[in-house]
Amino acid sequence: MADLSLAPAAQSVSAARKQGRRWHKATPILFLLPPLLLYAMWVIGPMFYSVWMSFTNADGISRQDFVGLANYRRLFNDDIFWTSFFNNIRWLVAFITIPIVTGLGLALLLNNDLPGTRFFKAGFFSPMVVSSVVIGIVWSWMYQPYGLINEVLAWLGRDGMPIGFLADPDIVTWAIIAAGLWRQVGYVMLLYLAGLNNVDQTLVEASRVDGASTFRSFRDIVLPQLQPITVIIVVISIIDALRSFDLVNIMTRGGPYNQSNVLAQFMYIEAFNNYNMGYGAAIATILALISMVFIFTYLRRMVKTEIDY
Amino acid sequence: MGATTTAYESRRQVDGVDRYRKKRNWRPLRIALFYAIVIPFLLIWLVPIFMTLVTAVRSLDDITMNGPFSWPSEIHLDNFAEAWDTGGLRQYMINSFIVTIPALAICLSLSSLAGFALARFRFRGNLVIYFTFVGGSLLPFQILMLPVYRLANTLNLYDTYWALIIFHGAFQIGFCTFVLRNFIKTIPGEIFDAARIDGASEFRIYRQHVLPLILPALAALSTLQFTWIFNDYLWALILVQRDSLKPVTTGLASLRGEFIQAYNIQFAGTLIAVIPTVILFVFLQRYFIQGLTMGSGK
Amino acid sequence: MFDAHTRILNARLSRRRAAALGAGAAGLGIAGNPLGFHLHAQERSTINLASNASDPAPRERLAGQIENFNASQDQYTVEINTTAHEDFKQAIRTYLASDSPPDVLTWFAGNRMRFFSNNNLLMPLDDLYTENGWDTTLPEGIRAVSNGDDGSYYFVPTSYYAWAVWYRPSVFEEIGVEPPTTWDEFLAVVDAASDAGKVPITIGTQMPWTAAAWFDYFNMRVNGPEFHISLMDGKEAYNSEDVKNAFGPWRELLDRNAFIPQPEAYAWQDALTPLVQGDAAMYLMGRFLYDSFPDDSQDDLDFFQFPIIDEGVPVGEDAPTDGYFASVNAPNPEGAKALLSYLGSAESQTWNVEQAGDPAVHPDVSLDLYNDATRRSVEMLQEADYIAQFYDRDTHPDLAERGMSAFIEFWNTPDDLDAILDRLDEDRKRVYESDS
Repeated sequence: MADLSLAPAAQSVSAARKQGRRWHKATPILFLLPPLLLYAMWVIGPMFYSVWMSFTNADGISRQDFVGLANYRRLFNDDIFWTSFFNNIRWLVAFITIPIVTGLGLALLLNNDLPGTRFFKAGFFSPMVVSSVVIGIVWSWMYQPYGLINEVLAWLGRDGMPIGFLADPDIVTWAIIAAGLWRQVGYVMLLYLAGLNNVDQTLVEASRVDGASTFRSFRDIVLPQLQPITVIIVVISIIDALRSFDLVNIMTRGGPYNQSNVLAQFMYIEAFNNYNMGYGAAIATILALISMVFIFTYLRRMVKTEIDY
Repeated sequence: MGATTTAYESRRQVDGVDRYRKKRNWRPLRIALFYAIVIPFLLIWLVPIFMTLVTAVRSLDDITMNGPFSWPSEIHLDNFAEAWDTGGLRQYMINSFIVTIPALAICLSLSSLAGFALARFRFRGNLVIYFTFVGGSLLPFQILMLPVYRLANTLNLYDTYWALIIFHGAFQIGFCTFVLRNFIKTIPGEIFDAARIDGASEFRIYRQHVLPLILPALAALSTLQFTWIFNDYLWALILVQRDSLKPVTTGLASLRGEFIQAYNIQFAGTLIAVIPTVILFVFLQRYFIQGLTMGSGK
Repeated sequence: MFDAHTRILNARLSRRRAAALGAGAAGLGIAGNPLGFHLHAQERSTINLASNASDPAPRERLAGQIENFNASQDQYTVEINTTAHEDFKQAIRTYLASDSPPDVLTWFAGNRMRFFSNNNLLMPLDDLYTENGWDTTLPEGIRAVSNGDDGSYYFVPTSYYAWAVWYRPSVFEEIGVEPPTTWDEFLAVVDAASDAGKVPITIGTQMPWTAAAWFDYFNMRVNGPEFHISLMDGKEAYNSEDVKNAFGPWRELLDRNAFIPQPEAYAWQDALTPLVQGDAAMYLMGRFLYDSFPDDSQDDLDFFQFPIIDEGVPVGEDAPTDGYFASVNAPNPEGAKALLSYLGSAESQTWNVEQAGDPAVHPDVSLDLYNDATRRSVEMLQEADYIAQFYDRDTHPDLAERGMSAFIEFWNTPDDLDAILDRLDEDRKRVYESDS
């Protein structure tokens, strides 16, 4: 068995070289052990525990009998589950598309040193630092039948009944998504600003001089260099779309009659309000699976095209 | 390179007019256009923020009587003082710091170790471990709530600062490892080879070479993590019961009554709670930009 | 109001503190103090009180009561930990099931309490009831919601409040109507209000419990409180003829556009504004509406009992009862009992009422202490044939969630009532069959 101490590299390097490596075999394990252990204990372990719970009828206090797939069968027959599921898809699609386009646009617009630009950047980013409770309340006010948005629409000449943004079952989810997007765009803008900062300007100028239009040079030179930051942004967007729980909770609690419900909110009420912990765990498991599917398809593509140094 | 330079120079002299000067003549118009677009757009964008500010200085009766969209009948700056004292904001802010700083330390130190190992060493299971970290960071908190609560109870950590510190520190390792691993991968291999030839151990390489290079990424992650942990709401609800331990958002939330929401005090408190995050962003802005980019290109 | 508060508080504190100091000094004197003049204060053990009283006024009142308690004895000191009222409903489970639960917690009487007692999370309080004489003095209806399924007492009720239809006399005068007592009179008021350009009934159903109130009253007025409680206990079908009949009068109101348009867009508090501004005539709400009303307009606020629909049916009223219980694993059980005894006493409830708190449960609290509107609401409750706890406290929380969603759905698409009730009944069967 190889010596596990962090001996001077020269010694173990020569030993390792015999095996074709330049570093001690156990080194990565030693580096990874503390983080992995902590992570396994507080994140991975609990996740498996929850998955197991989804196969029981746990109520969180006394009862916990194995029931097999009963919770999942019930889920697939539950209207609320499907409404929430499709709402989550809406959130995901909205969050992966709109903030990236708008955020990039804003970043390009503000990527200069004109006086006041720093202030503008901060302004667009400010929604991110305000608590979602406040955002939820203020947007609810804006959405009221005689609230800001309807008043502005009326002033702009719209007639007829005020739009029930949070009351109309067909538009309530989009109304809440709008509030979420409003907050997210500034964040993505900031990330793209960081990415743009790293774009090699000489390449861009060279392409322009070679006759490429602004658009072509953007598409062929700048965009590829933004790909790494876009990866981070997509991952963050997916996480945040699924974290939409707080806005839904504040603005409508999933209503009216569950039309704006999302899996996160649904799970929370089932598990913590209705004492259906096993059922809640099943919902959470499905929610986790959805995010995994999205992320891993994306990440796999990224890893395949990764440039190794 | 030479060909480009020639073409470049020849372009400059088209029509005998220096192209750049031509471009420069456009600039005042473009600048004016820029402001004309950005400023109104920004003002409309910030309407909800203005509403927050205005609500924070009103009295509750005022809001009930006149609705949320009217100007304040009088300015109540004492809302801020009330949030701080009666609202308990002072203690909640302190608690947020007590939890966030150690959690940050735990997370960043362990993630940098993990990121380094995953980026530098090719070994079987590397990708699996990497995906485990990434995947874990995507888990909806609901799937963790009850088990983590039970774990905290078993370890006798329930209703202590440590429950929050350890949990946040552990949970954020996922995302931070993801970012740091990708960041470290962009460090040129020559640096490591040179260090190894000098006889440095891997740990020394990590400490002396990697850590300084990833400082921008650490700074960027610090600001992001700080925002998330400082403002965490649900985990504090699950893991902590006593007021004296609650962090900012959970503490402020206890101003939500069954019947009456003291909107004004809550908003005032939120505005105060925003200050540390803002300061951190301003302070670390320089690093933030660098830190999140993948290239170490300088 | 707060001047009176401070004066009373100071008066009590100084009397009590003097007594306590006197007792303490005497005690030390007897025990002797051989080590010199530095007196050690007697160590008070802590009682952890988890409270959901997050509204500003109740929060202050509770703090005041606790100060009185701390001053009245020197064995215990109470630490109050407040959680937002709505969050508390979810967090309480984590509190009770943890390895260091709070000693005393605020909660609601009835089935919502029984879930915990049935799971052996609560401290039985029979001895406390006997000691304090509550098993004889408290009204039967109140005691009936304070015990568990096993017959033991687990809950100390301290206050309750009535629900009624609130209106502004000045607005009624403007429209030219009197407070109605029968259903037909009520419909006439609705029509008159509409004709006068007012919104007859305002309501905010962003949180759906406000709609559940309407269901409670329609069901109790049409089918009687006994049927209502049977339904709450899961023993009746939601898609029975009786329940469908209860929706009849509701439908009448919807057809007349009696309610404010798009109520889901408003939190209940936001829907108060039209009433304050005189644009709406009525609001079915709990007594706490009075507290939220701007101070200077409170004399122009009054209520009437929910109209009688069927003369032959017994009168049931919603009167949610609040109080306290103790964890079975309380770290400080003696302290918990001492605190509960205090909170359940006529004395502490009298003090609470003097501070404009909700009506007290203890019969020894004088009715003269209430303001006019509150006193009449208590009398209304005392004359009622039955007191219900309110929809989401009477029935299993899971079913309550589904039921309230169903009411909102009915509100939006009243023609789908049959399908809505069929689905709701499926939920009822699921919830009550699996319940232990």
